[in-house]
Amino acid sequence: MSGRGLGLFMILALGPVAAQAQLGISGEWAGQYHEDRDDRVPGDVNGDFTGVPISDAARRYAEAWDVRRVSLIEHQCQPYSLPHIYRGPLQFRIWEEKHPDTQEIVAYNVYIGTYMQSRKIWMDGRERPPDYAPHTFMGFSTGRWNGDVLTVETTHIKKEFYRRSGLPSSDRTTVVEHYIRHGNLLSHVMIIDDPVYLTEPYVNSQEFVRMERGNQNWLYNCEYVMEVPTPKNDVPHFLPGENPFLGDFSEKFGLPLEAVFRGAEATYPEYMPRIEELTDEMSEASER
Amino acid sequence: MRIVLLAPLLAVALAAGSAAAPHHSFAATYDQQETIRIEGRIVQFQFRNPHSYVHVEAPDADGQVWRWAIEWGGTGQLGQQGVTSQTLQPGDEVTVTGNPGHNPGDHRLLMRTLHRTSDGFGWGQRPDEVFD
Repeated sequence: MSGRGLGLFMILALGPVAAQAQLGISGEWAGQYHEDRDDRVPGDVNGDFTGVPISDAARRYAEAWDVRRVSLIEHQCQPYSLPHIYRGPLQFRIWEEKHPDTQEIVAYNVYIGTYMQSRKIWMDGRERPPDYAPHTFMGFSTGRWNGDVLTVETTHIKKEFYRRSGLPSSDRTTVVEHYIRHGNLLSHVMIIDDPVYLTEPYVNSQEFVRMERGNQNWLYNCEYVMEVPTPKNDVPHFLPGENPFLGDFSEKFGLPLEAVFRGAEATYPEYMPRIEELTDEMSEASER
Repeated sequence: MRIVLLAPLLAVALAAGSAAAPHHSFAATYDQQETIRIEGRIVQFQFRNPHSYVHVEAPDADGQVWRWAIEWGGTGQLGQQGVTSQTLQPGDEVTVTGNPGHNPGDHRLLMRTLHRTSDGFGWGQRPDEVFD
């Protein structure tokens, strides 16, 4: 066998071995909610903007937000978009799609029970669609393995929210996900960029556990109904400066309102002295 | 008077593996420090996701009848607790306790307990009868 032929043989022989060495992430996974539970499951009081590097545009949007708006028929069954859906209660199923001739993974298919969303993570190196291609709630995703970490990049995501407290996400949002498996646990890290509503990447993480026994809660019969009778064409909102619930989170946890609304700056340790300063001012004001 | 202020109830937090993602935050929508009771007749039961709703017509202290929208669990969680789309019927006489909405004019409640007069059917008394 010539040197060139031997080289080709080695590539063909070792290629499948390398592919099989990748961690498997197929299976059914259920969310764990010990982390950020109040935010992720029942939802917290109005005015929780902590931990998110919000822009001025996001602040303005959130100030006008009335939580009752999602009870409108038009919004009741609106799915969470990709950067939001992994934060709520969910279970999802992953399975591999392999090329019939090479048995290489062409894509990971993902089905999310919440709102019955489907997504495909392309692993075949294909190009992204043009910017003007339709946006969807799950977006367009491509993935690659970096060692034992599956990294997924997603674009073409519809506008929605980062939090139910009214922090909006734009249709220019992009998401980088890292899937890191430790036995039956799957860590999921999201790094979200949004040039409209974020001033810095918004990073969060979730844990999922592999379900040993499946269940049948995979359907989500969201039905449009008149949840709360309201006048037709009435869109709940607050005009600037008139939102009476904006300070609820701040009051509940004794945090200065300025810190709650500060965005990126308030997420760094260097901001702690300012919080103490503001807290002292609050104490002095309450004593007067 | 058929609307009574009650002591706050303790919400038991359970694992939410089968919870429906609420499209709005409960704490943001309802005053969970307050619980009220209404007595009236069911006019509609919407067994659905993200959350079910029970609509009850109940009189206030002045005898004026209001239609209350009472938010309940999604089909997954309620289904595991034995509730089906046929559990409640229009015309059923019920007593409901729940957290009122922040906007009193909405006449909405977050369900805490339900009791049907005719057969004693109840929900919300057992530790597992909660929803996310």
